[in-house]
Amino acid sequence: MEFAGYVRPDGKVGARNHVGVIATVGCVNEIVLSICHQIKGTVPVTHQQGCLTVSSDLEQVQQAIINLGKNPNLAAVLLVALGCESVFPEEIKAEIAKTGKPVELITMQEIGGSIKTVAQGCEVAERMVLEASEIHRQEVSASKLIVGCKCGSSDATSGLSSNLVVGEVCDLIVKEGGTFLFGEVCDIMGSEQILARRAANKEIGQRIIGAVNGLIARAAAIGADVVGCQLTEGNKKGGLTTVAEKAIGATTKSGTTSPQGFINYGEVAPTNGGLWIIPTPGRGFENLTGLASAGAVVHLFTTGLGAPEGHPIMPVIKLTGNINTWNRLNTHMDFNVSSIIDGTETAKEAGKRLVAELLKVASGKLTKAEVLRYDESMNILTYGPVI
Amino acid sequence: MGKAVLVNDKDNVVTAVSEVRANEEVSYQVGSETRWIRANEDIHYGHKLALTKVAKGNVIIKYGEIIGRAKVNIQPGQWVHTHNADETYTPSK
Repeated sequence: MEFAGYVRPDGKVGARNHVGVIATVGCVNEIVLSICHQIKGTVPVTHQQGCLTVSSDLEQVQQAIINLGKNPNLAAVLLVALGCESVFPEEIKAEIAKTGKPVELITMQEIGGSIKTVAQGCEVAERMVLEASEIHRQEVSASKLIVGCKCGSSDATSGLSSNLVVGEVCDLIVKEGGTFLFGEVCDIMGSEQILARRAANKEIGQRIIGAVNGLIARAAAIGADVVGCQLTEGNKKGGLTTVAEKAIGATTKSGTTSPQGFINYGEVAPTNGGLWIIPTPGRGFENLTGLASAGAVVHLFTTGLGAPEGHPIMPVIKLTGNINTWNRLNTHMDFNVSSIIDGTETAKEAGKRLVAELLKVASGKLTKAEVLRYDESMNILTYGPVI
Repeated sequence: MGKAVLVNDKDNVVTAVSEVRANEEVSYQVGSETRWIRANEDIHYGHKLALTKVAKGNVIIKYGEIIGRAKVNIQPGQWVHTHNADETYTPSK
């Protein structure tokens, strides 16, 4: 099994060849967007972080920015700084440069305002895009693939079809030696003991359970019961009876193999293959960013009612088992698995079909979120208060 | 005729993927084989019906895993939901 990817100087393989224009702090988002709207071939990496959060969150944000920059879908990186942020732009630049890709840093307060910074940034980005355009795709083994997944705007079809199909793809990619990233903590909650029992060793299992307990504790610290509100009235109306049922239906995306390890949000997944757990939240903005910073180059996003969002760094493949959503939101949906609900295809068969689509997208086929430019909103996860 | 989905061969419930009326025959696939169960009551799209008798205190199985526990005796073809099934999940200590 192979795909045509961009082999980077550090040996990692990208599915895209973007120049990433990355904000070190939310205060320069406008500059990043202006540069990207001007220069073809760039993607804007904006967020609301980089300042006035607790130190552990600043470290997590800095780590995530570094690892977003290292993602092999980016051929080069232009960092845009403000000058007074609480993360360290020079450190970020030095870390990304370790991959061997071109990295430059411009600082708005030094240059003297947004107009001049946009102009300077456009000149750098233009040069980077031209250089990147000479890098060509090469056939590489699917063992080089890092794939992320999540579910969003789920309905009764999600647990019966699309999540099962992603689970099949997870097993197939892992079997090929590739890496699959799974972990929406809110959705694991209720199935963490099952996932922990599947883990390659006890420590990984304990960390999976710890991630769920951490979420419960953070909610309890502000007087909220996150377990009690996990099964919504809408879920019950849709037919879900228990938290366990909801969680197990979501966890089917992780297939049947043993989790090989657990990485924190903002960390990079090792490239030695297997299923890895990352404690991303359910919300798409932070979830997709967590997977992209972990190194995912393609993402499988299951939806029932039709979640539209993509991500600037990763192509996001939208699949649904709901035929009405497939028809009504067809301009957003990439892959139809309603055949499983009809009984005309098994999850295993649809899984093989989806792997073929995944390899096509990894080799350059665009997703609808990319074509629609429905892929600019993102954020980086923090745990503590905004100060 | 109604339609339902069996996820795993170990399951004792199927999920309706059509609006099922009381006494309607509901089909579901087990591999390439089509099987039938008669619904005892109206069952909405996305809701579950029991394939077998589930005695009070016994477990409800979907995805091949325990998703709940019967609060009362549940008959084949009966709707399975919060009125007759309890949560089995409690966070780990």
